[in-house]
Amino acid sequence: MNQATTKSSLYYPPGGILMWIIIYLELITFGAVLVAMVWYSKDEPQLFHESRLLLNTSFGAINTLFLLVSGFFMALTVGSLKTQNISKSKLYLKLTMLGGLLFLGLKTLEYSDKIDAGLTMGYNTFFSFYWMLTLFHVIHVIVGLVILASVLRTMVKKPENLIIEDVEASATFWHMCDLVWLLLFPVIYLIF
Amino acid sequence: MKKLPFLIVLIILVILTVLSALVSNSGIGNGPQYIMLLSALKFLAVAFYFMELRHANTFWKVLLIGCLTIFIGLVLII
Repeated sequence: MNQATTKSSLYYPPGGILMWIIIYLELITFGAVLVAMVWYSKDEPQLFHESRLLLNTSFGAINTLFLLVSGFFMALTVGSLKTQNISKSKLYLKLTMLGGLLFLGLKTLEYSDKIDAGLTMGYNTFFSFYWMLTLFHVIHVIVGLVILASVLRTMVKKPENLIIEDVEASATFWHMCDLVWLLLFPVIYLIF
Repeated sequence: MKKLPFLIVLIILVILTVLSALVSNSGIGNGPQYIMLLSALKFLAVAFYFMELRHANTFWKVLLIGCLTIFIGLVLII
């Protein structure tokens, strides 16, 4: 297993320069759409307020907690791997993935409620933004889970092939899902 | 590896999340400002501790704080 060199850690962020460029591009994309949502809300403040009240804030808050706890275990996974503790890394990575799966489970329940109530993408401007932003985020979570599953597979089957930089990059992608959600949650569920 | 610093950050993040929900439901004045401020703190905690950005070059830290400041600023100004 390779270890990140001191020199690279001085000049490159954990996870690698490419991953951080992706993160900034993602943050700018999500940020721009969220700002557009706030901009549109000024034209129809009452509609945005009433629509926001149709969302289940508890679902949003619990999902935030799922992602934060999952991020915590991801940080422990990388930390354990750096100390060569593969067995603990495996356990922490499984718990990380469990957090992601619980997030998706609750999101499915939330989406099901909204569809049953007829609050689909074409219902109004607020719900167009709601579906577009949250679905795009869900896609990122699914991609993140696939990446983590691939890391777990290597960890279980061929731990000698595990490269710490790859795991750090995967972890950084997973944390990015947290970061994006931390911007989505207050704007969509709380401020209108 | 020391778990305690990560655990402390997680507890702070959970408290901030609960506070955000309480502020939102309380209907107090300047609620959106407080909610966005709390979210910014959570964002920075995840980036600097869980993602270990605190060990990265200052360039990356400034860039992230800059992006966050512009975003929060725009949301609150509009």
